[in-house]
Amino acid sequence: MADHAASDGWIGARLLRKEDARHLHGHGMFIADIKMPGLQDIAFVRSQHAHAKVRQVTKPADAAAQVFTLADIGPLHILEAGPELAAHRHSPYPALADGRVRYVGQTIAACMQPTRAAAEDLADRVSVEMEELPVVVDCIAAMRQGSPRVFENWADNAFITSTVNEGKPASLASAPIRLRRQFRMNRQATVSLECRGSLTYWDHRLNELVVYLSTQGGHVKRLGLSQALGLPEHQIRVIAPDVGGGFGGKNRLMPEDIAVAAIAMKVGHPVRWIEDRREHLLASVHCRDHAYDLTISADKDGTLLGVEGDVYIDAGAYALWPTGSFMEASMASRNLTGPYRIKHLKLNTFTVATNKAPMGPYRGVARPGACFAIERMVDEVARELGREPFDLRKQNIVTAAELPSRTAAGMRLDTGDYIASLDMARQMIDMPAIRKRQAAGEADGRAIGLGFAFYTEQSGHGTVEWVKRKSRVVPGYESASGRMLPDGSVIFHVGVQNHGQGHETTLAQIAAHELTIDPSRISIRYGDTATTPFGFGTFASRSIVFAGGAVAKSCRALVEKIQRIGAHLLQTDVANTRVEGGAVHGPSGKISFAEIAYAANVRQEHLPAGMDPLLDATATYEPTETGGVFSYGTHAVVVAVEPDTGVVEILDYVVAEDCGTMINPMIVDGQVQGGIAQGIGTALYEEIPYDEAGQPLATSFADYMMPCAPEIPKVRIGHLVTPALATEYGVKGLGEGGAIAPPAVIANAVADAFRSIGASFNETPLTPRRVSEAVDRARRAKGAAA
Amino acid sequence: MTDVTIDLNGAKVSHAVEPRQTLADFLRELCGLTATHLGCEHGACGACTVLVDAQATRSCLQLAVMCDGRSVQTLEGLRNDPVMDVLKRHFHECHALQCGFCTPGMLITARDILRRLVKPEAQTVRHELSGQICRCTGYAGIVDAIVAAGQELA
Repeated sequence: MADHAASDGWIGARLLRKEDARHLHGHGMFIADIKMPGLQDIAFVRSQHAHAKVRQVTKPADAAAQVFTLADIGPLHILEAGPELAAHRHSPYPALADGRVRYVGQTIAACMQPTRAAAEDLADRVSVEMEELPVVVDCIAAMRQGSPRVFENWADNAFITSTVNEGKPASLASAPIRLRRQFRMNRQATVSLECRGSLTYWDHRLNELVVYLSTQGGHVKRLGLSQALGLPEHQIRVIAPDVGGGFGGKNRLMPEDIAVAAIAMKVGHPVRWIEDRREHLLASVHCRDHAYDLTISADKDGTLLGVEGDVYIDAGAYALWPTGSFMEASMASRNLTGPYRIKHLKLNTFTVATNKAPMGPYRGVARPGACFAIERMVDEVARELGREPFDLRKQNIVTAAELPSRTAAGMRLDTGDYIASLDMARQMIDMPAIRKRQAAGEADGRAIGLGFAFYTEQSGHGTVEWVKRKSRVVPGYESASGRMLPDGSVIFHVGVQNHGQGHETTLAQIAAHELTIDPSRISIRYGDTATTPFGFGTFASRSIVFAGGAVAKSCRALVEKIQRIGAHLLQTDVANTRVEGGAVHGPSGKISFAEIAYAANVRQEHLPAGMDPLLDATATYEPTETGGVFSYGTHAVVVAVEPDTGVVEILDYVVAEDCGTMINPMIVDGQVQGGIAQGIGTALYEEIPYDEAGQPLATSFADYMMPCAPEIPKVRIGHLVTPALATEYGVKGLGEGGAIAPPAVIANAVADAFRSIGASFNETPLTPRRVSEAVDRARRAKGAAA
Repeated sequence: MTDVTIDLNGAKVSHAVEPRQTLADFLRELCGLTATHLGCEHGACGACTVLVDAQATRSCLQLAVMCDGRSVQTLEGLRNDPVMDVLKRHFHECHALQCGFCTPGMLITARDILRRLVKPEAQTVRHELSGQICRCTGYAGIVDAIVAAGQELA
């Protein structure tokens, strides 16, 4: 592959990626690419009913030994999932059904055959006798008196309810402007292009279970598997090879993972399960599915005062280990004030069980919903006051001088210049030109709309924050283990997982910066619990902050020892030396890392007296401010909407963002563009509706709309750089930010296109039907009023 | 079982297959050619795109028996292809891949686009890519890479 441009500083270099070559040549190694002698495939028998008792599972007589029910793979331990709070109700989720199923797609039995096709044939021959039960499909209806219950022993259908009460919300009743709005962000799937999968076998030589798993974090999965299987952790090795996208959907321990592992332990040969797309849309991690009923209060001068109301999270039938979807409600409510000086907040949150697939994290976690709700309401207030929404934002958003600033919901916004980002986006999109174009009208009859939305993205949050959230595991640190080999080249093993983020490149840049050597002399390794130090994996925009910091600390420990050896070999004091260009320099000359590493590893007689050999340093890292550092940005978009068909076309999309110091601006732009593409999917296309019987209505790409190249514009990206104060180099995480604001900004733009008739667009995705119906409703209302 | 012989990446390969076996499974499971990825197995994502008699084809929708006597090329077989070399370089330089799962299918389709169209513009490339799903990149780098390769090859 092409060489990178030479650079003095590796921090901030647009270094081309180390991970590209293998994928470009077709040598990536994903789960389904791995072959093992004696491998057999698993296919699952899944529930076709949303809620039912499983009366009887009848195995075909000629293949009974190849069909596994829960009784055949146990004993297994059911892990309690969700926050460690007594008030959070336990939703025991067995690897295979234990007599009850609670959503369409739940695993009932597992069938094993030499090929996937034969395993699916066998699954078709398993007969399951079921007794249907009343279903709970809507999360708001689920909380009404008399609703059927997902769990009979629960008093109602809430996993947990909570209230947020900040400031003096009672004062809002007399506010001059009070607007009540309902919002929905509908259910979707995470849709990594590589589906889930596991290839698991008992290694008879090492007496351990080897689990190849398409996962975002092998160490935490090992912990969960150990507890579920009752097998000590030293006898489990989890390997994540190349992982074809995660986005949150591969960051929970799933029933299939446990079932495949349990079967592998029974049969003694390798077994694998490769999820197909139908299973993925049916029963992988589902996401979003928030409903809001909110009232925003403001003064006549446009000062935003407070938000009150209800937040419903449709969490599906079970909590997924470890943390369930409890964070959805708390993060939604804590982000509902956005970046605004809103002082009063009163929210009731309901995390509700329904007969749908369990909910888990997806890029942005809860914030796309919260951003959608608050940013839509800001636009609604502006419309009520006849103000430009941009101006109302600018009036209410905290200024650079006010930062750091604690929001009403208790988030400490750290560094940045939010108004500069607003202004940059306004200039990039050329707001005056758009307003002029709108006034002129379009020859094709389409309506032009301009929208703005601002987001913040908490990243790199540590121990205190996760303990506050009652997280079952506390991902408050990351680790890196650096080893300099005899020739002076270096390998780092890290606890995070790379599934597209480019860590092999960016972490090597950090190490290159610290060690003053070329990144080509550095390897970053991950994804194997047998070789990497404990870490939590890649999620929550945490890797560059945590793993980057851990690599930096490991490097500094290496450099400290290298310098001492170098000084000894140069026969001078350490104080007289400096490290530069991969060498220790002294008054009389220099000595290369390679010579020093050679001594440290294989010629110990050259080391200072009493010094231990090896250049080997494991470090853990947590930022100094554990409430997190906040990336932020303004999205602005211009849309053209066909009023009768409701088809929305994006004409221009700009972002003015600040993620602190950028390690690799090329990768930053890639994350922003990619996140926005997913956000556009949420805004306009992706949805898994359920019918009244709890049947999912989008189980293939024929009815689950995935945005392709014609639907996704090339986003114009502007950067502000305000370094964080609490992290190494001033970095902030940025993986999720792109996905947060698109539903808000696109809905605001579509609403702007129809501001003259007052149409509202408060439910995602904004499908042509929803848009055209909203336009039609507004036209009729205006006609009736006239 | 039916005997199938395919001219695969320039060499004759024969296997006995069930009539229902897809070309994708034939390539991956019987021939060990795993560059061809399966993202949906119902013809919507394009990750499994290969060349059958030089035509870009979804190998998940093609049965192996339909390819008996025909020529099939996968990404592995295009290792020394001059157009593919240019495309790979631009994919690398334009950050046109993240997780890499869609990449082989994207490259085969991109090569097919450049075989049919001279110096295609970005809008044309976007339209031509409408059957390929990438979940990571947001397509911008992929479009840029194909446009740049088209200009270099013209």
